[in-house]
Amino acid sequence: MLSPHLGRIGRTATLLLFAAVFGYPLLAYLAVAFRGGDGADSAVALGNAVATWQSILAFNDGTFLQWLTNSIIVASVGSVVAVVAALPAGYALARLRFRGRRLLRFLTLLTMVVPNTVLVIPIYLEVSAVGAVNNLWVVGLLMGFFPFGVYLAYIHFKTTLPTPIVESARLDGLTDVQTFFTIALPISKQAVALVGFFSFVANWTNFFLPMVLLPLSTSTTVSVGLQQLVSSSPLFDPTTAAGLDVRLYAPHLALATLVTTLPVLVVFVLAQRYLIRGQTLGAVKG
Amino acid sequence: MTAREQLATRPRIQPRRAAAPPAPPPRRRPNHAAAVLVTPYVLLLLVGGIIPVGYAVVKSLQNESETGFGGLSSYARVTADFRFVETFTNVALVLCVWLPVMLTTVVILALLIDASSRRFGATMRFVYYLPGSLAGIANFMLWLFLLNPGQSPVDFLWDGFGYTSLNEVAQPDNLPFILAAMLFFQGAGTWIIVLCGGLNGIPDELLEAARVDGATARAVVWHVKLPMLRPWLGYMTLLNLAYGFQLFLEPQVLSQVTHGLISPQWTPNQLSFTYAYQILDTPAAAAMSVILLLVTLSLGLLVIHRSRLFQDER
Repeated sequence: MLSPHLGRIGRTATLLLFAAVFGYPLLAYLAVAFRGGDGADSAVALGNAVATWQSILAFNDGTFLQWLTNSIIVASVGSVVAVVAALPAGYALARLRFRGRRLLRFLTLLTMVVPNTVLVIPIYLEVSAVGAVNNLWVVGLLMGFFPFGVYLAYIHFKTTLPTPIVESARLDGLTDVQTFFTIALPISKQAVALVGFFSFVANWTNFFLPMVLLPLSTSTTVSVGLQQLVSSSPLFDPTTAAGLDVRLYAPHLALATLVTTLPVLVVFVLAQRYLIRGQTLGAVKG
Repeated sequence: MTAREQLATRPRIQPRRAAAPPAPPPRRRPNHAAAVLVTPYVLLLLVGGIIPVGYAVVKSLQNESETGFGGLSSYARVTADFRFVETFTNVALVLCVWLPVMLTTVVILALLIDASSRRFGATMRFVYYLPGSLAGIANFMLWLFLLNPGQSPVDFLWDGFGYTSLNEVAQPDNLPFILAAMLFFQGAGTWIIVLCGGLNGIPDELLEAARVDGATARAVVWHVKLPMLRPWLGYMTLLNLAYGFQLFLEPQVLSQVTHGLISPQWTPNQLSFTYAYQILDTPAAAAMSVILLLVTLSLGLLVIHRSRLFQDER
């Protein structure tokens, strides 16, 4: 056995090495966003980013801002719907006995562990059958189906809501619906934050669903839009790019990507104190 | 904490069973209330899950012109597609590279963090999680930059292999490795957080008892910590197996930027997409999705069945 001292050095060195593996590409990418021109041999400067940002805005008459707006609409609608649906459902699953409870919980777990992209083509067939393709609100609503959120709420109510409180509310003559709204919900800020955060991030980064349901290039979200930026860049498609007024090089792509991740970071900071506690994660441990 | 809460929820069941007579009245009421509380979610589950799946099954049984019943003909068309088997072997290749690397690295890093001082460990955990915030297309954009010799910060790597262009780096033989690296970079941090949570949940008394019994640090890892992590690892493996079948974005955009050097039908989802959007053979697209659903649903059932996480209390 190594001496504890050596062990600690080895441990720290390994952790730092992996920190470099994860951190270095991010830093390098961040730096590119602040380089000028086509990104080769140019110094990092804030002024470069300003110029780069203006060319991104000029791309297809400001379509980038339109994409960002679309993403904000879709992701916010989706997470509000998810929270509104998931909390009462999670409460009912955790605290009430009703017919179909086991089936509902089973379907929730199943849809939660199945990757959501395998449902995209079936959803596309459904949505195009009713002629609702290219509708932001439909996409937002569909994103509101977030079984993981129901699972989080279920765990939350199962573990953090003391049974005596619920029982005494029942004795006081409150109906279960009233108990949920007056007692359970007010002490569930953490669950709201968790469901809202995870759902927002999932919606924001969703690629396949908006790509299929919002095929018009102006009505799509920024995740699909980034792909259009890539395919318009002379780095990857010189022939198409030659016909465009705006030349998108590495700095443009990097800056656009970073701007795209800002909302996720903002939401993360807002929800952070609820996330880091990790109560929910600890609570599910078997 | 968990043990106490389990204890807190458990006794609830027994008195209820003992006090059988007054049970019926409170039962009626919850039924009604539950319906109110659950309705919004059930509607979403129908629209976003059950109806699309049912509709896909129905569609997949239509004939090619969508004018009538076609039996399993669309399944025959899809499975006879020369790319069909290939899409699944491609996914299997990615999983073979990705899963072992991911599992071992994540476990090692979580154990090392757990053994470190609180502050240093938390910082490292945060750094590992950072790439996870670049999920999806953003992660892909970063990788496009890493993979492109000439501008890549890891150009020394590509130099070593003798690659000078993106098309050389992203050649089909390398794709499983590239995708595995992308998935690892993006997902490892989240799993490290999950495992650290699991390790944090080990009761201090248990670790203390092991120490008092004279267990070395290594013995504690082998006999206490790893067994505690095992349910998480099973859960993680199965979940990520299912995740592999959803691959779409990365190979799709890579195919685009390499101008078809990578097949645009590299994964099952892409093949399904091609049938829906380019071949415009809706029953075949539906059939492909149903096949994919069957694979992922069975993996999902395994997750639920096997994992102690979701074990029902009754």
